Amino acid sequence: MSDVSIPPMTLGRTLRAYLSDARYESLRLLRTPAFAIPILAMPILFYSFFGVVLAGKAVSGGFANQLFVGWTVYGVMGPGLFGFGILVAVERNMGLMTFKRALPMPTGSYLASKLAMAYVFAVVVMAMLVTAGVVFGHVTLPLPTLIRMAAVMSLGVIPACAVGLFIGAYAPASSAAAFANITYLGMAFLSGLFFPLSGVMHDIRVVWPTYHLSQLARAAGGLKYEGTTPVHVAVLVATTTVLIAAAARKLSRRG
Amino acid sequence: MAKDGGTEGAPLASLSGVKKRFGATVALDGLDLEVRAGELLSVLGPNGAGKTTAIGILLGLQAPDAGEARLFGRSPHDLAARRGVGVMMQEVALPDALRVGDLIDQVQAYYPDPLSFDEAVALAGVEKLLKRPYVKLSGGQKRQAQFALAICGRPRLLFLDEPTTGLDVTARETMWATLRKLVKGGASIVLTTHYIEEAEALADRVVVMAKGRRIAEGTVAEIRALVVRKRVDCVTTAKPSTIAAWSGVTGVIEDAGRLSITTTDAEDTVRRLLAADKALSDLEVRRAGLSEAFAELTQEPAE
Repeated sequence: MSDVSIPPMTLGRTLRAYLSDARYESLRLLRTPAFAIPILAMPILFYSFFGVVLAGKAVSGGFANQLFVGWTVYGVMGPGLFGFGILVAVERNMGLMTFKRALPMPTGSYLASKLAMAYVFAVVVMAMLVTAGVVFGHVTLPLPTLIRMAAVMSLGVIPACAVGLFIGAYAPASSAAAFANITYLGMAFLSGLFFPLSGVMHDIRVVWPTYHLSQLARAAGGLKYEGTTPVHVAVLVATTTVLIAAAARKLSRRG
Repeated sequence: MAKDGGTEGAPLASLSGVKKRFGATVALDGLDLEVRAGELLSVLGPNGAGKTTAIGILLGLQAPDAGEARLFGRSPHDLAARRGVGVMMQEVALPDALRVGDLIDQVQAYYPDPLSFDEAVALAGVEKLLKRPYVKLSGGQKRQAQFALAICGRPRLLFLDEPTTGLDVTARETMWATLRKLVKGGASIVLTTHYIEEAEALADRVVVMAKGRRIAEGTVAEIRALVVRKRVDCVTTAKPSTIAAWSGVTGVIEDAGRLSITTTDAEDTVRRLLAADKALSDLEVRRAGLSEAFAELTQEPAE
């Protein structure tokens, strides 16, 4: 009567499951204005306002390049930080995570789909900023250099996701958005993305992933930068690892 | 790849001696449960009986404190075991912005051999909901969408935790018909419910749970036979308060001049009623329904 044997999952179908999760994760956030509009529009609006309109022709090429790096790092960090920070907290709370764990969703697809979504959004944000920078922002760097910088900065999606995951794992659903916002803005300003820091803030700028990412981007663009590439990479990798481990500990203990 | 006869043989899923506590609350207290191939097993019990926890452990959502859970002969944490399972949970919120059709397509991708999209949609009766965002659905429509997600992967074993809560009569009938069709097609179903009629209408076997334990098990008829109570209905001038004091009488309800008496000794109760009121009319004696049987069983859990 009934055949209770379960056919194995082929590699092709597993791959399809990952891709469909990534697609629907991006699609649903694109359809959620409360998420998509701030993530996609804020960086380009801020950059246009501060980096193009306010700064105007007074800015030298060097400062224009610096503003471009700052706002792009800011824009790239957003999707990962909010995508993980708010969504993981909310989905933990609303039982979606429990439902997904009951389903035969491939291991890792929950996080992989969010990471893919963060990349998709980050690439769109960067495309807008690169266009605005070249057309209106007096950025003096040639396009291939800008694309190389963008590629380096896109790696910042991963630490951003780690910071978000940490917030999402620990913050209650009701306040995760607030924590994510404070962290996002705090990291951006305290790492000197937009203006030079002084005193203690200058000394502790090295604790923020945004600082290391912006230095890597400058190095890739041939701009003046601090520190050395291996150290920046090492700090980003270490921060990411520690945050993911702490989040995984919390999330697995709930199950 | 053994073909299973569909009746005896190794169970598809089982709990043996499972204990689980949440803080000071004992949710499961040494529960044994077996789901056999090709059956619809109904798990009945009041709120807090541990039904949802039992399903959670069978699905690997929680780890038992003691005892063992098996799913298709494997650990429920094993992804390969869960590929044979479809599930409809009581409390679940799905992504608001995705449409019902998107959700079905997404969940189907997790299974090695799902139903075709159209087949799943037709079976769950959600044709009209496909283009609607999940957030715009009514409570009942959400349950229908969740049902579609539970069956779309062509699961061998379906866990349904109070699936018809919030459904209108038509939707409930549709779901019942689909469940019968699935069982006929060889699927096994575990269904928890508060609706006694649901177990009576669908179940091959009933397990009654209370306080984290299995207190009775059998066919619907066997469960009903466990209980000696009968209902005596009549129109009489005898006072309910007097009748309630008679030996064997466990309850008297008056409704528009008609009395409904629950008793463990129907013959004696009827004799006394007829003696007390010569004009008594419209007498009816029947075996208690599963609903009453269930209430009795769960009041005082048997050892």
